[in-house]
Amino acid sequence: MYDIKFLEDEWKKYKKKKRRPWFMLLLSIFLILLASFTFLNYKEIDILQSNNKNKMLKPVKVTHSLLVDEALTTLEKKHPKIPEVKSETVISNKTDTNEIVEDMPIDENTVRPDAPQVEESISQPHKKMHLNIIETTSVSAYKDVAKRFYQSHDTDDSLFLAKSYYRKGNYKKAEYWALQTNKVNGNIEESWLIFAKSKVKLGHRNEAIHILTTYLKKSDSAQVKSLLYKIKKGTL
Amino acid sequence: MKSRYEAAKNVFIDSIDNDDYIELNSSMSAYKQLEHSMSKPLKMILLFGKPGTGKSILLNRIHNKLKHKQEIYYFDTPAVSEKEFFHKLFKVLTKKDLPKNTEVNFSALVDFCKKLRGKREIIILLDEAQMYGPEMMEKIRLFSDSRAVKFVVSLHKTEDEDLIAKEHFQSRIWEVIELKNASKEDQGKYIHKKLLKKNLFEVANTIKDKNMKLIYTFTKGNYRECNKLLFTIFEICEYYDKNEPSKINYEHIPKKIIEMAALKLGYIHV
Repeated sequence: MYDIKFLEDEWKKYKKKKRRPWFMLLLSIFLILLASFTFLNYKEIDILQSNNKNKMLKPVKVTHSLLVDEALTTLEKKHPKIPEVKSETVISNKTDTNEIVEDMPIDENTVRPDAPQVEESISQPHKKMHLNIIETTSVSAYKDVAKRFYQSHDTDDSLFLAKSYYRKGNYKKAEYWALQTNKVNGNIEESWLIFAKSKVKLGHRNEAIHILTTYLKKSDSAQVKSLLYKIKKGTL
Repeated sequence: MKSRYEAAKNVFIDSIDNDDYIELNSSMSAYKQLEHSMSKPLKMILLFGKPGTGKSILLNRIHNKLKHKQEIYYFDTPAVSEKEFFHKLFKVLTKKDLPKNTEVNFSALVDFCKKLRGKREIIILLDEAQMYGPEMMEKIRLFSDSRAVKFVVSLHKTEDEDLIAKEHFQSRIWEVIELKNASKEDQGKYIHKKLLKKNLFEVANTIKDKNMKLIYTFTKGNYRECNKLLFTIFEICEYYDKNEPSKINYEHIPKKIIEMAALKLGYIHV
């Protein structure tokens, strides 16, 4: 009779040896999949970034009725010499009722503490409505504004979100909303400025310089030049 | 109590007994071919194949079948010397024992053979002929030239032995029969038939198709290797059956046991 115990041990070793190549194969497949997944992810991010770049260089012309509002752009520049009469609508967080105050300039400090989340201003003399969103802290309010933007493509909404997120230090979201603004209207300088500043904050300094240099070619803006100077100097 | 595996193990003890002969399509065809060749007026027939392809059992079978009809002799073990071979041949040809203290005169024996031509037709089956040296083979050829003695020479098929066949038989051999390893199907039938011949139906049923495939992978259809492997498999089964019955599956032979037997016989290595 054979030494069965010895044979069993030998068989166990043999099985181990036989399984080894399969184990190695599975391990290699796993590593290859992992590597390709990482590579594709990286590539996707790269494509997104290059797309962003392309879109910034060639601003999209959107013929949305809400966006062809040249007066808004001028209003936002806020020339100090021209006194403006504002009427403001205050939208409460708690209720849906809008309170419209006409022909009375309102100081931000005098706004009721429980009331304003989103403030809408209407320039009465020109009979134009202007949605000027000042500040909001509620997350749901941000979501509401974003939702509204997706429905209306109002650059004021997207610009508001871009500015708010930039102020809060959420540069990724600020960049995203500035980009959305630029997509709808490529002539909003403030949006380009936020976009470039967000880029710098996110560590894409060269991209920011490239964006602003390209923008300067068509606008020759002093603000853009100043920002570009700051970025190049590294004082932003 | 005797384990059923013990009986199964004994079925596969390698032998050339006529009782152990299993009729398969391939072996039947070789048998008929050889029988047909022997009926022709040929001087020498070469039966060759790798070891374990069934040459010896075929010679034994044909000897047993024809011994009552024809003058046929089976030299199963090769003579260790020329002298011994001539003694054997003398006894076959003259049907007498060689007197003590005498030696066979080769030329006289050849002349005797020549005189037998037309009177007797003797067939000598020479197994393991690769054991005979070239000189001896030349002398055998001279006996066959007498046309009274017909030789069926069985050789192993290896490079060297092929060389012997080429050098010493090529011009003299009239017919060559090659035996090959069994096909997968034939090997399966061989195993089953062997077990059924000994009424081991239950054990035969435990060897499933998958087992057969694995056995064929290890043995490549060689009958001797197949016998060795099956013997070892049933010996391991017998051990488990007697000592550790929990480790054996009575429904089918576990793959583990076949691999253990293959390890034991060196078909696979750690």
